[in-house]
Amino acid sequence: MTSVTPLQAPAVRELDVAPRRGSGNRLARFAPLAPALLLLLIFFAGPMLWSVYTAFTNLALTGSSTVDFVGLDNFTRMAHDASFLNSLKLTLLFVVGSAVIGQNTLGLLIALLLRGRRRLVRSVVTGLVIAAWAVPETVAGFCWYAFLYRTGTLNALLSHFGIEQNWLYTTPMLAVILANVWRGTAFSMLVYSAALSEVPPDLTEAAAMDGASGWQRLRHITLPLIRRAIVSNLMLITLQTLASFGLIFVMTGGGPGTASQTTPLYMYQQSFKFYQLGYGTAMALVLLIIGALFSVIYLRLIRLED
Amino acid sequence: MRRTFTIAAVAALTLSGAAACSSDSSGGGSKSKTITVAYQKFGAFIQMDEQMKKVKAAYEAAHTGYTVKLLPIEASENDYYTKLSLMNRSPSTAPDVMYEDTFLVNTDIQAGFLAPIDQYLSSWPDWSQFSDTAKTAAKALDGKTYGVPMGTDTRALWYNKDLFAKAGLTVPWQPKSWQDVLTAARTIKAKLPGVTPLNIYSGKAAGEGATMQGFEMLLYGTNNQLYDDSAKKWVASSPGFLDSLNVIKTVFGDKLGPDQQDALNPNFGTSVSNELLPGGKLAIDLDGSWLSGAWLTGGAKPWPQWSTVLGQAAMPTQNGQAPGSTSMSGGWVLSVGAHAKDKKAAFDYVSLSLNKDNAQAYDIAASQIAERADVAADPAYLKSNPSLKFFTDLVQVTHFRPAYAEYPHVSDAIQVAMEAVMTGQLTPEKAAAAYSDQLKAAVGPDKVASGS
Amino acid sequence: MADLTVARRGTSRTVTYLVLAIIAVVFLVPFLWLVIASVQPGAALSAHLDWKFTTANFRAVLTPDTIFRPVLNSVIISGGTALVTVLVAVLAAYPLSRYQSRFGRSFLYIILFATGLPITAIMVPVYAMYSRINLIDSIPGTIAFMSAASLPFAAWMMKNFMDGVPISLEEAAWTDGAGWFQSLHRIVLPLMIPGLTVVFIFTFVLQWGNFFVPFILLLSPEKQPASVTIYTFFSQYGQVAYGQLAAFSILYTLPVVVFYSALSRVLGGAFSLTGAVKG
Repeated sequence: MTSVTPLQAPAVRELDVAPRRGSGNRLARFAPLAPALLLLLIFFAGPMLWSVYTAFTNLALTGSSTVDFVGLDNFTRMAHDASFLNSLKLTLLFVVGSAVIGQNTLGLLIALLLRGRRRLVRSVVTGLVIAAWAVPETVAGFCWYAFLYRTGTLNALLSHFGIEQNWLYTTPMLAVILANVWRGTAFSMLVYSAALSEVPPDLTEAAAMDGASGWQRLRHITLPLIRRAIVSNLMLITLQTLASFGLIFVMTGGGPGTASQTTPLYMYQQSFKFYQLGYGTAMALVLLIIGALFSVIYLRLIRLED
Repeated sequence: MRRTFTIAAVAALTLSGAAACSSDSSGGGSKSKTITVAYQKFGAFIQMDEQMKKVKAAYEAAHTGYTVKLLPIEASENDYYTKLSLMNRSPSTAPDVMYEDTFLVNTDIQAGFLAPIDQYLSSWPDWSQFSDTAKTAAKALDGKTYGVPMGTDTRALWYNKDLFAKAGLTVPWQPKSWQDVLTAARTIKAKLPGVTPLNIYSGKAAGEGATMQGFEMLLYGTNNQLYDDSAKKWVASSPGFLDSLNVIKTVFGDKLGPDQQDALNPNFGTSVSNELLPGGKLAIDLDGSWLSGAWLTGGAKPWPQWSTVLGQAAMPTQNGQAPGSTSMSGGWVLSVGAHAKDKKAAFDYVSLSLNKDNAQAYDIAASQIAERADVAADPAYLKSNPSLKFFTDLVQVTHFRPAYAEYPHVSDAIQVAMEAVMTGQLTPEKAAAAYSDQLKAAVGPDKVASGS
Repeated sequence: MADLTVARRGTSRTVTYLVLAIIAVVFLVPFLWLVIASVQPGAALSAHLDWKFTTANFRAVLTPDTIFRPVLNSVIISGGTALVTVLVAVLAAYPLSRYQSRFGRSFLYIILFATGLPITAIMVPVYAMYSRINLIDSIPGTIAFMSAASLPFAAWMMKNFMDGVPISLEEAAWTDGAGWFQSLHRIVLPLMIPGLTVVFIFTFVLQWGNFFVPFILLLSPEKQPASVTIYTFFSQYGQVAYGQLAAFSILYTLPVVVFYSALSRVLGGAFSLTGAVKG
C-alpha cells in the first residue's frame, strides 16, 4: 500500500461520510480543540490584541508615566524613517536570500542527492545538517562569528591564498544569510526527503527509458509531483525567517552601522534600547502584515496548481 | 462529552495549580517583612552579588523578623535595564531596593519607579562623607535625591612606558592639549611600526564606550557640552562638536588608530585589554579606571607587570584651558523603589550596604572609584590598586552625562556620526549636520539649541 | 530500494559523492572553532591551534551552578513544553483533520500567520499579564506560554500526520458506537507514533535555544535555563571568556543532539517526515 506524505492535501472528509450516532452536535465535534483554543486565547490572543492597541500609542518602557493614544503617528513616522525602510529592505533580502533561495534549494538538492545512497553516507550528511539545526541559536551565532572573524577559521584557511578580512565587516548580509542557510536547511531537507520518497519510481523510470535526461526528469516529473510540499515548505520557512532575531544579533548586532539591521533588530533597538514601545510594536505589526501577505501569495499558488 | 469535561477540568486545574504554587515564589512585595533587592550579576561581574549576600546576612541579624530576598538579574547591561523596567512596571514585582545606573535615574523617576529618600538621608550621619559631586549623582530635576552612590569610574589616557621610552618620548607623560596627544601618537607611528599608536573607541559597535570613553572625553574638553543646563536644551553641532569629530577623522584618517575593521568589532574592547595592551601592541589607550581589573590575579587576563609597564595621564582639554584636564564619570546608585511597602526598612538596607566598611570592600573588589571621602582616604583602599589615587583625583574635573530619557537615542546619534567620520563616509561638517537632524528627531526640535 | 529517478552510473555518481562531500565539509567547518576553543587554554576568538590541550575550560564549567542546574532547567522547560504541545496539538488536530470545515482551515492558517510576529513584540504585555495573575517566576507558567507559542506549527504538522491515517479505519469503530476519544486513542494514535515523536522533537529542539521568554518570565536565577545563563561568560566591560564559552556551548548542545539521535534510532533509522506506512 502507498504511504501518505503529511504535507499533501487531506482526503476529503465529508461530515456525512462518517455515520455518526446521535445528535451530531457540530460544536461537540470541535470540543477537542478546546485546550488549544484556551491556551491560544489566554496566552496569545490577549497579548496580541494589547500589541495592536499599543501600536497606536506612545507607550514608553520607562521615562514616562503616561500613555497617550496617537493614532497613526507611529505609522507615518515609519514611512519617513530611513532606518526603518532600510531595515525592511534588509529583511526582505534576508528572507529571500536565506529561506526562499538558500534553505529551500539546498534542502532540495541534498534530498535529491541522497536518494539511494548508502546508509553511511546518508547518516553522515543528514547528521551534520541536522546538527547545524539542533544547535541553539546563540551557539550557532558564536560559531559563525568565530568562523568569519578576522583571525577566525575561514581566514585561517584562506590565508594560504592571501585573502584575509573580517567578513562580518565587509559583507555582513552575506554572512548572516549564509549562517541562516547553514542553520535552517535541515528542515527543508527533511520535508523534501519525505516528499520525494512518495514519488512513484515507475514514472521516472519510464521517462528514463524514453531518453529523458536527469534534468528533464527532475523538471517535468519530480518537481510537479512535489509542488504542494514546495509551497508549504516555502510558507513555513518564510514565516520563521521573517521573525529571525537571535542569529543576526549575536553575529553582527545589526552592524556595521545598520548594514545588517533587519526589522526585528531595529524593532528591538527602538523598544528596548530607546524605550519606545509604541513605535517598536507598530513595526511588529507591519512585519506581521508582510508575513500574512507572503502567506496569502503562497496559498494562492497552491490553489492555482489545483 | 464526559471526556471533554475531564480534559477541560484538567486544564483548568493545571493552570490554577500553577498560579497557586507560584504565588509564594513571586516577588515578595506582598509581605511587608520581606525586602527584595534587585541587581545585576553578569559574567565576571559577581562582586555585587557577593556584596549583597554579605549585607543580607548582616541585615537579617540586625533586624529580626525581616527577610531579604536577593534577585540577581543575570543579563548584559541593556537587558538588565529592560528586565528592571519590566519589574518596576508591575507593583507586585517591583523591587524594594535596586541597583540603578546614574544616567537612567531621571528616566526612572519620570516613570514613577523610584522613591525620594531625602528624609532618611538627613538623619543618616554617613551622608556627610559623600562628596558634593557624589551627592548630586542621583539628584533629580525636582531637586530631591533618589539614590546613594556606590562607586564611580573615571577615564584617562593609559600609555605604555616601555614603548614611549623606545620612541624617545619623555616619561612620565602629561600632554597639555589635544595637539600634544596627537604629536606623541605620530612619533610612535614613525618610530615604532607594527604598534598601534592611539586607541579612541569609536563607532556603533563600541556602543556607549564610544560615546563616553571616546567622544565625550573630547567634547567635554572643549568649551561646549551636550546639554545646556540653564536653557534646558540639547546642543546641536557646536564648534566643540565639530572639533571632536575632526580628531576622530585625524586619528583614523592618518592611521594613528586601530584598523577600522578591528575598531568596528563589538569585541574590540576585549582585544584591547586582553591582547593589545599586555602584548605591547598599543601605545596609548583612552580608556577607563576599571581596566586594571582584568589584569589582577583572578581577572580575565592576569598581568602582574601592568603597573610598571603602563602609566596614566589625564586627558587634556582642547587647548589646555582651565581646568587643564577632563574626565567622564558614570556610576551606580542604590535606590528605593516607589512601590516599596516599608521604605524605611529598604533605606536601612541601603545605608547598611554603603557604610564605610561595606562600601570600601565593594569599591576594592569591583575596581570602583570611592564616593565616600573616608574610603578614598583609607590606606587599604589606596593600596589595593596602584592606579586608584590617580583616577580618584580625576573626580575633581569629571563630568556626568545628561541624565535624561532621550540620552540613549542621543548617544546612538553620536556613535553614528563618529562612524561616518572614521570610515570616511561623511566629512565632519556633514556628520555634524546629520547629528543635528537626528537630535531634532530624537528629542523634538523645540528641545534643541544650536551651539556657539 | 533502488531509485532510478536519476542515472547513477560512472561519472555522475562520482560527481554526486563529490558534491555531498563538499556539503558535509561546509556544514562541519563552523563547528571547528567550538571544538578547538574548548580545549585550548586562554582561548581567544581565533581558531589558532596551539598544540597544547587542556581540560581547564571544561573543569571550570562543570559545576552545578554553571552547567547542571541550568541544563536541568532547560530539560524541564523544553521537555514540559514539548509534552504539553504534543498533547494539545493532537487533540486540536483531530477535528481539523477529520472534519472538513472552512472554520478549521482558516483557524489553522490564522494561527500560522501569527507566528510571523517576533516574540519580542508581545513580551511586555505578557509580562504585565503574568504579573497580574501571579505567574511571574513560575516554570509551569513559562511552559504554558511556550506551549502556546509552539502550538500553531505543531498543530499544523500534527494535522498533516493525522491526515495520513485513513478515516476508513475509524469508521468500523464508529459503527460500533465508539466516541471520538476512543477512536483517537485506540486507532489513530498508535498509527501516529512516528508523527508524535517528530512533533515532540521539533518542539523540544526549537524551544531549547529560546532565550527571551525565560529571561523575561523568570526572576530567580536558579530557575533560569542554559539558554539564558550562557550569557554569563560575557562581562560588564565587554570581556569574554571564550574558552569557557566554547566548553559550555558544547555541553549545552549535547543533550539535544543525543536526545535527537536516540529518538531517531527508536523510530528505526533515518529521521523522516514521512507519514505512517501501512501494509
